[in-house]
Amino acid sequence: MKLAYYPGCSLKGTSFEYEVSLLKILEAMNIEVKEIPDWNCCGASAAHSINHNLAIALPARNLAIAEKDGFESVLAPCAACSNRLKNADYELKNDDILKKKITNSLEMPYDSQMSINNMLEFLIGVVGKDKIKSMVKKPLAGLKVASYYGCLLVRPPKVMQFDDPENPVTMDELVSLTGAEPVDYSYKTECCGAINSLSKPDVVMALTGKVLYDAKNHGADVVVVACPLCHSNLDVRQKEIERKYEEKIGLPVLFITELLGLSFGINPKDLAIDGHMVAADRVLKKIEELSK
Amino acid sequence: MKTVLNEQNRRNFVAQVESMLHDKLSKCYQCGKCSAGCPVNFEMDYTPNQIIKMTELGMEDSVLNSKTIWLCVSCNTCSTRCPKGFEVTGIMDVLREIAERKGITSKTEKEVQMFHEVFLENVKSHGRIFELELVGKYKLKTKHLFRDMFLAPKMLEKGKLKIHGEKISNLNQVAKIFKDFE
Repeated sequence: MKLAYYPGCSLKGTSFEYEVSLLKILEAMNIEVKEIPDWNCCGASAAHSINHNLAIALPARNLAIAEKDGFESVLAPCAACSNRLKNADYELKNDDILKKKITNSLEMPYDSQMSINNMLEFLIGVVGKDKIKSMVKKPLAGLKVASYYGCLLVRPPKVMQFDDPENPVTMDELVSLTGAEPVDYSYKTECCGAINSLSKPDVVMALTGKVLYDAKNHGADVVVVACPLCHSNLDVRQKEIERKYEEKIGLPVLFITELLGLSFGINPKDLAIDGHMVAADRVLKKIEELSK
Repeated sequence: MKTVLNEQNRRNFVAQVESMLHDKLSKCYQCGKCSAGCPVNFEMDYTPNQIIKMTELGMEDSVLNSKTIWLCVSCNTCSTRCPKGFEVTGIMDVLREIAERKGITSKTEKEVQMFHEVFLENVKSHGRIFELELVGKYKLKTKHLFRDMFLAPKMLEKGKLKIHGEKISNLNQVAKIFKDFE
């Protein structure tokens, strides 16, 4: 099957670690993905907030190009991108008038035959648990990992069609495959407020702080995410949150692809783990100690 | 708050919202589950269920000028939990879009609104987001020049802030999308 890859803007910028680590583990597993040629921004949260047609047309262009190029499946590792691609696909499937308007504007047909996968769906559904398990060379036994899903991967369920919107478990299953121990905590699907990260930083810090403090209070050594926007809030803003609430957190935030890479025995540098704002040294050291 | 409403205006507003939303306002029976689970309810002037009722009553000015529509983080918790399957998150999108089309600038949450506008301008000029330019233009527009600036040196050092943006080759196609729908 020809697999398309839609990186989205964050993976080429502030969350480059996600792209580096994901391409590295795919290479290790011998899985080839091809970037959608000349892809454009999906419009993310801004488009749907103030212009519904743009919010459908921008992602639709990427889907139409991928379909024209003979891809059947697309991997969109950014949770916001996969959410917008799925939303566009859903509306084009269910609204013929809108579909006509959009395809006329794009001057390209779109048949809605594309299977759109977020990172977790791709790992579980396309790669498969057996394959991932067979790759684990350095089990992370003893490491406590809190999976943070946020909103965009699972909601709205009628469009996302992925896992349980209130208690998703896919990422925890992936964590278990690495030998690490999933941490049960209360905030795994609470929103971090990403849409207003720059415009309402105080609100965002309140929301993100709840997630981080709860994960820490439940004994997590590290938080894993599958979304660059969640990562930016949990990692980049963490120091500021500690200052605001006057309580140390010190929780490294890794992409799920980085955690898998570590369990595959890949060098942390090759997974760009040193690109995070909160240093993961303590976790890397713990992994080394545990593997002795 | 204006309480005497013109019935024809009320009907027009409800019809406009419902046709954009593809859903019926009367589905909502005011149980308040959306508002109970809303992660940003503590900042709002009206709760989500109040916004739905006010829209149904034709209180156009109040909802279009509310803080709530801009504070909503589109997390979809409300729509997911709604026992009637009403598009609660969707109505926030619809009301923001109507406010935007009418040229209403939020008095209290104009930063949120400006961020969305600057974001889309960025997509329009490059086809992709050039983060540094997006942040710069947003700061100039909102005059919050120093907010978050302390993050910049370390982000640069870590390689998180790219100095050059990417432009797509077929920018004409994206320009056409904007021309058709903006």
